[in-house]
Amino acid sequence: MPPKHYRPAGKKKEGNAAKYITRTKAIKYLQVSLRVFRKLCILKGIFPRVPKKKFEGNHKTYYSTKDINFLLHEPLLEKLRQRRAHEKKVKRAKARKNKELAERLLNRMPGYKLDTLILERYPTFIDAIRDMDDCLTMVHLFASLPAVEGERIQVNRIHKCRRLSHEWQAYICRTHSLRKTFISVKGVYYQAEVQGQKITWLTPHALQQVLTQDVDFNIMLTFLEFYEALLGFVNFKLYHSINVKYPPILDSRLEALAAELYALFRYVATGSARKPVETQTSGLIEEKKDTEEKMDPSVDESELRLAQLQHQLPSNEPGTLMQLLEDSNTNDDDDDEDPDTKECRTLFKSLKFFLSREVPREALLFIIPAFGGVVSWEGEGAPFKETDEDIAYQIVDRPTQGHKFLSRHYVQPQWVFDCINARIILPTDAYLVGMVPPPHLSPFVDDEAEGYVPEYGETIKRLQTAAKKNVMPLPDLGNQDIADPQSLLAQGIIDRTQANEAAEERRKLLLLEKQYHDELKKEMSGTTYSSSLSNKNSENTGSDEMQHQDEDMVPVSTEKDDEDNRAKLYMSRKKKGLFEAMEISNQRKKSKVELLKERKRKAESSKTG
Amino acid sequence: MAEEKHEESLSDEAEWSDDGVSSENEKAEESDSSEDEVAPRNTVGDIPLVEWHKDEEHIGYDIKGKKLKKQPRKDKLASFLEGADDPKNWRKIYDEYNDEEVELTRDDIRLIQRLISGRTPHAEVNPYEDYVDWFEYEDKGHPLSNAPEPKRRFIPSKWEAKKVAALVRKIRAGLIKAPDKPKEEEANYYLLWGDDTNSAENKKRINYIPAPKLKLPGHEESYNPSVEYIPTEEEINSYQLMYEEDRPKFIPRRYLSLRSVPAYDKSVKEMFDRCLDQYLCPRTRKKRINIDPESLKPKLPSRKDLRPYPTTCYLEYRGHAGPVNCISVDPSGQWLASGSTDGTTRMWEIETGRCLKVWEIGEAARQISWNPVADRPILAVVLEYDVLLLNSGMGDIDIQTKTKELLHVGAPGATEDAGDSKSAVSWMQHEKHDGIRIKHFKAVSSIEWHSKGDYFTTVVPSGDSRAVLVHQLSKKNSDKPFRKLPGIPVTAVFHPSKKIFFVATKRFVQVYDLSKGQRIKKLETGVREISSISVHPGGDNLIVGSKEGKMCWFDLDLSTRPYKTLKAHSKDITRVTFHRTYPLFASASDDCTAYVFHSTVYSDLNQNPLIVPLEILRGHKAEHGRGVLDCKYHPRQPWLFTAGADSTIKLYCH
Repeated sequence: MPPKHYRPAGKKKEGNAAKYITRTKAIKYLQVSLRVFRKLCILKGIFPRVPKKKFEGNHKTYYSTKDINFLLHEPLLEKLRQRRAHEKKVKRAKARKNKELAERLLNRMPGYKLDTLILERYPTFIDAIRDMDDCLTMVHLFASLPAVEGERIQVNRIHKCRRLSHEWQAYICRTHSLRKTFISVKGVYYQAEVQGQKITWLTPHALQQVLTQDVDFNIMLTFLEFYEALLGFVNFKLYHSINVKYPPILDSRLEALAAELYALFRYVATGSARKPVETQTSGLIEEKKDTEEKMDPSVDESELRLAQLQHQLPSNEPGTLMQLLEDSNTNDDDDDEDPDTKECRTLFKSLKFFLSREVPREALLFIIPAFGGVVSWEGEGAPFKETDEDIAYQIVDRPTQGHKFLSRHYVQPQWVFDCINARIILPTDAYLVGMVPPPHLSPFVDDEAEGYVPEYGETIKRLQTAAKKNVMPLPDLGNQDIADPQSLLAQGIIDRTQANEAAEERRKLLLLEKQYHDELKKEMSGTTYSSSLSNKNSENTGSDEMQHQDEDMVPVSTEKDDEDNRAKLYMSRKKKGLFEAMEISNQRKKSKVELLKERKRKAESSKTG
Repeated sequence: MAEEKHEESLSDEAEWSDDGVSSENEKAEESDSSEDEVAPRNTVGDIPLVEWHKDEEHIGYDIKGKKLKKQPRKDKLASFLEGADDPKNWRKIYDEYNDEEVELTRDDIRLIQRLISGRTPHAEVNPYEDYVDWFEYEDKGHPLSNAPEPKRRFIPSKWEAKKVAALVRKIRAGLIKAPDKPKEEEANYYLLWGDDTNSAENKKRINYIPAPKLKLPGHEESYNPSVEYIPTEEEINSYQLMYEEDRPKFIPRRYLSLRSVPAYDKSVKEMFDRCLDQYLCPRTRKKRINIDPESLKPKLPSRKDLRPYPTTCYLEYRGHAGPVNCISVDPSGQWLASGSTDGTTRMWEIETGRCLKVWEIGEAARQISWNPVADRPILAVVLEYDVLLLNSGMGDIDIQTKTKELLHVGAPGATEDAGDSKSAVSWMQHEKHDGIRIKHFKAVSSIEWHSKGDYFTTVVPSGDSRAVLVHQLSKKNSDKPFRKLPGIPVTAVFHPSKKIFFVATKRFVQVYDLSKGQRIKKLETGVREISSISVHPGGDNLIVGSKEGKMCWFDLDLSTRPYKTLKAHSKDITRVTFHRTYPLFASASDDCTAYVFHSTVYSDLNQNPLIVPLEILRGHKAEHGRGVLDCKYHPRQPWLFTAGADSTIKLYCH
């Protein structure tokens, strides 16, 4: 065996110095500029590492040597060099005022493709799907940027982003894989489930976005370049999986009316082999609907009637209705659909929505069909008019509504989002026109981990359980709650933390009660208060048992503190550090919840007072 | 044309030959001028005769300069008639130069015909002669030419380059049209991911860490959060006082309707930050521990099973006017002695808390220690330079007489010891309190009795070679057992049963065998500065307290390194002590606390001692940054005495 310090010929280093390389050295090694290096890193998905020992100093950036070698053998590197040479030619031509030549050269810029890179970074489709969050957020953000000539971002790229994002939304909508939505101050969050992966993305509000100065758009555009390609290929694969041709060819009339999304929906719906019923009941395609109904009118009608029935009687024997619905579903659509998708598909089934002018149309046009509803809007190209008799809900976001149809509900847009998150059709009383809607809650919060549930969250939970179990929601859960928290926990009405609190309260009550009984007893036997005190003292020095009781009387906090101290004394330093860090974080969490409760209490008191 | 040319060439030849035979010109002059070989007469050279001599009567000059006269012209008709008669007329040509008519021979005509048809002029020339290879290359082994390949075969052709350059020039000038523009780049997507998952598995990048996902929004990010998520005005103002980093990035706000929500101004910036994170931030895998913090706590035996131990303050001994430096309990367990900085040393009855006796020494007592033998009620008190041996006055008359005898020093000169320590220590009678005063040459820091009660040791930290001294009470002499000590000693302790002696220097504990007079062991504590040590009554274990608040437990049979290090106190440990009978030990510290520990030492050597922290005793108040200065156990009961800087002594009982 060679000695430990033996190093084979040709192998220069070992250890950290061989495994990692600083950025400056990497750039020198690759013979590229920093800018090109950045671009390569972004496209190839290479990121700095943290070596165990920072052998060249703490303030440097380290890359894995393997990663850098990976870059070195990248054909794209050569392509980028060619481009650089070509750019120099263009520059030269421009400097010589040879406009024509410059233009000609610009047209012949060597191009490159990213498909191999995508396949390299995401060897399987699942990998790509898993990493879609940033991609979608970025594409949606750029789709909402101002498409103005002369800005820093080219107009065609913005249009491309718009197209890609609409294609994605059309797929999500068609497959009913949208799960959660949330209107935040930053925009609208959507969460979809594609091939078992949860994908969350953010779309900004449909308003003029501000282009700030403190942003390097070159970097963002490099990212966007990759994301565009990725989303294109992912869309292709997804469309392929539902037997739709990609890229889609859109109805030019609708496109001109800036209703691309709707046009896409129609394309996807008509292009796919499995024709969804709900998108085709729209008014624009009357003939098709007719033929469809002729083909199997019985199923459709019965379904419609059942849904109406269910809507009219929200809590009357839903179980049997559900069963019936399921039966009818198995007839016309796929059986291997998972229950979640089914739930989503049937939420707004056979309900007609109408959007007013002031409502954010794109978001609602996306989510309502995704949950099985039929939607129209005020404007040209709309599938049906406002005067349609079948409209069940009109989404309105204005202080007052002038003319009202009696047959429909007028609700604020938040109602749709809340319904989707709760997966039930909520009562519309709180969302009527001109009212301040109830608080909009995030569906992404894990109540258990958070330790605090807002009031409206509980209301929704109660409604959900009521819908599930056919139990009318209790008007007020008062003392009964405290009486038996465990049973309520089992029902899923309240969560664990609350149950614990309630149990604590109950214990205290019991203690007080016991003390009261003891005192009563003493009073009965005739001992005075002072004598009982002296009794205690004498007992103190006496038997061990009494002392044990005495120990219980010690203030709880100091005892607990001592206990902690004692335990800490015996822990190793590492464990002690960990323990303390955990304690701090737990304390922080608790204080946050405390703050929320405090604020709530204050708000309530100010309201009543 | 061809004929003319021929003529010219003929005439040229003639001329040329004419020069060669100039001497014979005269003779030739007479001869027939029509002869081919003969040079022409005219010498004007190759000039356009028709032009220049049109109007002249001569056509040129002969060799002698005479004019050659033009022949009289025949008119056309006469010449025609003449030609018509002559059958050879077709082969006659007029020679303008010499102004004569020439008749072509048969050979001439043949030659002309061959020339016209593009063959060689002379019929006898064979253009396709057999190739005769003049070189012999058979059996020669070399090519025809052995020259190296010329360079021009390897370099781009200059001529071609020129041609290309010319083409390029034309293309640029627009003479040659370039092919039309490349079409608008359309993304051609295809099915990138096939179904071959196996091959994809192989392609998976090792060591790749996917970027962490963004945090999902909570309730507070809603456009319409519930009221409790919206901070009040004061809270928002208080954010301004925070550091930039600590300030919350996002302040929840409530909008009453969706239409009133404005565009989020930081969306581009946030996306950009995310991009930066993705390609600039180092990624590492972090293991997130998701355990209950309670599970980290060690499983300690229940405190109830380890009873009795001191838990509560039962008595307080008050009387001292200054911080109580030291305490000591007498072996019978009835009396407690204490020394204070107020210059007094007191004796208390333990059960009642009554102060029995006060010695007004006038100097701060640094350390105090009862003689461990019951029938020698002697108290050793350490002052600055002196050690006082006082008679406590306890016991019956018998004991008293014996004690008094013991505490009597003869003539001061006689007690002087021989050797080096002569000047170090002097024994003398203390008149005022009827005891012995042992005067040291430098400040004494600690005193410790041997368990038999005859020997005791004092430590003089700055004493160099005389730093540790062993005194014998019965003989009233002092000895220095060590010639040299490795470091400055802090304290020294006798082994309870064996002839072993422990000396604590600043960072180590030296273990000496007194019978052999050599070092056995050196215990490495790993602490910065030792303040006190205590030996387990069994003698195999040792605890060391340090000034940084750490306590080390040594198992002497096990190792020279601590078996367990406990970081209990936040300030200096002033004293560590074992209980003589119960499995207890305690530590006192300047942070105003005393810890009580349980420690079972098993007789089985394979089993490690069990150490359990039991109780934290509080009650003393800090004074001048000092807390508890000393602690001692009761010899028989599980009681602990603590002496505080707040000039009280406390007794903690079980």
